[in-house]
Amino acid sequence: MPDLPSNRRAGIANILWSLLAIAITLVFIFPLYWAVSTALRNPVDTFTVAGIGLPWLDFQPTLDNIKTELSTPEGLRALRTSLLVTVSAVALALGLGLPAAYALARFRFWSNADITIWFLSQRVLPPVATLIPFYLTFRAVGMLDTPWALILVNATFILPFVVVILRQTFLDLPRELEEAALVDGASYLGAFFRVALPLAMPAVASTGLIIFAFAWNEFLFASSLGITETKTMPAHMAGAVDTRGVQFWFMATRALIAMVPPVLLALFAQRYIVRGLTLGAVKG
Amino acid sequence: MWTGRIRLLFLMPAVFWVLLFTIFPLIYSLYASFHNVTNETVMERVQVPRLDAEGNPVLRPDGTPRMRTQVNRETVTDWEFVGLDNFRRIFNDPQVAEAVQVTAIFVVAAVAVEMLLGLLLAFLFNRELPGRPVLRMLMILPIFATPVAAGYLFFTIFYEEGGPLGWTGIPWLSHPDWALVSIIIVDIWQWTPFCFLVFLAALQGIPDDFLEAARLDTDSTLAIWREVILPQLVPVIVIVFLLRLAEAVKVFDVVASLTVGGPGNATQSLSYLSFRTGLRFFDVGYASAIAYTLLIAVMLVVTVLYKRIRSVYA
Repeated sequence: MPDLPSNRRAGIANILWSLLAIAITLVFIFPLYWAVSTALRNPVDTFTVAGIGLPWLDFQPTLDNIKTELSTPEGLRALRTSLLVTVSAVALALGLGLPAAYALARFRFWSNADITIWFLSQRVLPPVATLIPFYLTFRAVGMLDTPWALILVNATFILPFVVVILRQTFLDLPRELEEAALVDGASYLGAFFRVALPLAMPAVASTGLIIFAFAWNEFLFASSLGITETKTMPAHMAGAVDTRGVQFWFMATRALIAMVPPVLLALFAQRYIVRGLTLGAVKG
Repeated sequence: MWTGRIRLLFLMPAVFWVLLFTIFPLIYSLYASFHNVTNETVMERVQVPRLDAEGNPVLRPDGTPRMRTQVNRETVTDWEFVGLDNFRRIFNDPQVAEAVQVTAIFVVAAVAVEMLLGLLLAFLFNRELPGRPVLRMLMILPIFATPVAAGYLFFTIFYEEGGPLGWTGIPWLSHPDWALVSIIIVDIWQWTPFCFLVFLAALQGIPDDFLEAARLDTDSTLAIWREVILPQLVPVIVIVFLLRLAEAVKVFDVVASLTVGGPGNATQSLSYLSFRTGLRFFDVGYASAIAYTLLIAVMLVVTVLYKRIRSVYA
């Protein structure tokens, strides 16, 4: 068996590569683990816990921080606001963006390419450039500190994703199916709703999850436009630090509560993440 | 087929939405950037009847209503046209110079490390590793972590007395240079996984028989790289670079949560400076001018790369 040594060497190399991959993954996961570990500690244990703070081994974990956080009226209100704002913004962006994506994939305009890039370019704009106009306008019409203000701006931010990603999705669908429906007497609306949309549904759902995460995570406008009544989770976090000072257990607990929804939901869109985050440019 | 007025019904709502909620605000802030906007609060004291819980006036024994003093506050905003003064101010403002430097260092360092590390990780994970799907799934998690929450989370991690990185003895957040490094590390943590995922997808998109055919043709690894792997990878590297660049120049959340721009102004990015100028100090005109400078810089990059972007997305 002359090639056994080289086989074995390949095997050992593979084990080493695997260990390296696991080690790197652990490094990237560590901050999230640390959030969980700190959130589960008794406040008095925050700095006394040794090593990497494994629950049960290094300290007795408790759910008190999380329970306290979820039972304050402000915390609950922030969660509710986040959910209301995010879901509404996603619905609005899909409602506006899906037909536009379809139109840019099927109909002919003066230049479909340039219109698509025009939508895409909205994503590149620095949000601070529109912050002050939004702030002043909402203040003038009395919409500051209402969920409406946040729904409108978030829908605006995620709309380009919907248009650009789903246009690519519709382009990838065979247009013959819709054309057959059109020949059979369906209207364009019928072809869109009955033929194209059902076929695009997995991509639409995944895009929905990804833009949900983006809208949920939005902070600049959330902290500027939502002053007292309509703080979303990210804005709520920031406010707490200002008034309460540095209380690490609450910071970690709030960070955890804020992060869990977008992170978990995005996992459901795993298959589409590469496509979604590159706005359809790379197929994952 | 595929013509007719109805196509406008599909497209126009989204177009009008963008015009109304993006283009209009941009015109507004361009207008603001040519003005010196000052707020003045005018207070006026007036006597109004005191009301009880039902909204009826509370009466004195003699039948006349009890009065109370109410202070009416009104903010009067004054717009004074100053031409290009705000933009001139930018060039002489040391805060802006520092913010430009901070933003540039951040963008270059973060994007370079993320792409390099992402590429190396993609090659590592492109092997047949046991448990690869689980590891890949775990690597996705940081991408969607709320950035501002990540900032606070890393505040607890970079804590110099008793934090998990305390043993390094590095003044993570109290030293100006290290504070910027810390901001960069958070961005690297969050966005390396994105670069990694996209590069991995590109590598795995190379068909196996394609590679095998190439191996039959040549023994030279270099030739396989040049002829097979790089042509697949380079366009994707360009896309990732563009996307990361566009996001990185806007850096705000982590600055706002991890360092609040400090110590001093050592981590104050352009976005953060514009935000503070506008909504903390209410110097609306100047803040708009700063935001516009950033916008123009981004637009220049987009224009230079327009053909490239167009070939990818259209």
